[in-house]
Amino acid sequence: MSKFGTIAYHVCRLALAVIFIYAGMIKADDVVGFAGQIANYRILPYAWNYLVAATLPYLELLCGILLLLDKRVRPALLVLFVLNLVFIAVLTSAILRGFDIDCGCFRPNSEHPSPPQAALIRDIGFGVLMIVTWLLRSVQVRKEVE
Amino acid sequence: MSNPLLSPALRRTLLEAVVLCVFAFAVGVSINFRVVFDAFSGRTVSATRIAQTAPVVEAQPDAAQPELFPFPAMLEELDALVADGALLVDARNADAYRAGHLPGAVSLPLGELDAKLAGFKEQVPLDRIIIAYCSGYGCPDSFDLGVRLLQEGYAEVLVYEGGIPEWHDAGRPLEGAGQ
Repeated sequence: MSKFGTIAYHVCRLALAVIFIYAGMIKADDVVGFAGQIANYRILPYAWNYLVAATLPYLELLCGILLLLDKRVRPALLVLFVLNLVFIAVLTSAILRGFDIDCGCFRPNSEHPSPPQAALIRDIGFGVLMIVTWLLRSVQVRKEVE
Repeated sequence: MSNPLLSPALRRTLLEAVVLCVFAFAVGVSINFRVVFDAFSGRTVSATRIAQTAPVVEAQPDAAQPELFPFPAMLEELDALVADGALLVDARNADAYRAGHLPGAVSLPLGELDAKLAGFKEQVPLDRIIIAYCSGYGCPDSFDLGVRLLQEGYAEVLVYEGGIPEWHDAGRPLEGAGQ
């Protein structure tokens, strides 16, 4: 892989790592508040909102740490990409149902809430970044094998 | 027999992704076991808040009277309590109450408590069981309202922490909803 490709890969990887470590840490810090934000989407039964709020931040955090360490990058990217698809589906559902809610993507009960529309555009951007990182990683692995 | 659609590398990636999910799930549940357990058993925040607040009370042995805390009430207990004469009290704001509330509940918003408490006390005797609720998910208003009502002399005050969302998810009707 060219020097530019290597730099691009590491920039993308580190950007995703920082985003998801940040998102995971602040949500893990307020599980009950995050459960309330998941509940705003009115998709899961009451107690299941708590279960998702208790576990999802650790998945984001773990994947972010693996990206930061440049270890198990493709499994971490795959998990985050699937999560991102779920977020996009849920946000689209909220928009179609006319919900004016905070997306709950980062800090629960934030003073500066993100509407679902803005969060949807951001998540599509994250998805593109993940695909680019995956492709750059594949090129890098192929080069290492050769 | 190998699946021609999945290369060995992709199969390994998928397997590692599943292991990641299982590991993160186990870590999250272990760290937040109490919250998850309480949510699935119908108790959410009251007990935790009592535990967090209690040491402060213990640190003030000279206080004139010990601070009282409302006990949690679970969804399954509400029907029997109401049949015994308990009064459901909605601690959310008046707009939220009008949009839909538990059947038979009266409105006593925490934010308007000072203005409405005298009228409430005229209508509700101190020996009546009170069950306060709000929007669930750590909503503090019902707990804070419960503490105030205990301080005002009500003998038995409970907090239904599941509040509106748990009630609604249980398929129970809300009074005033859709009107």
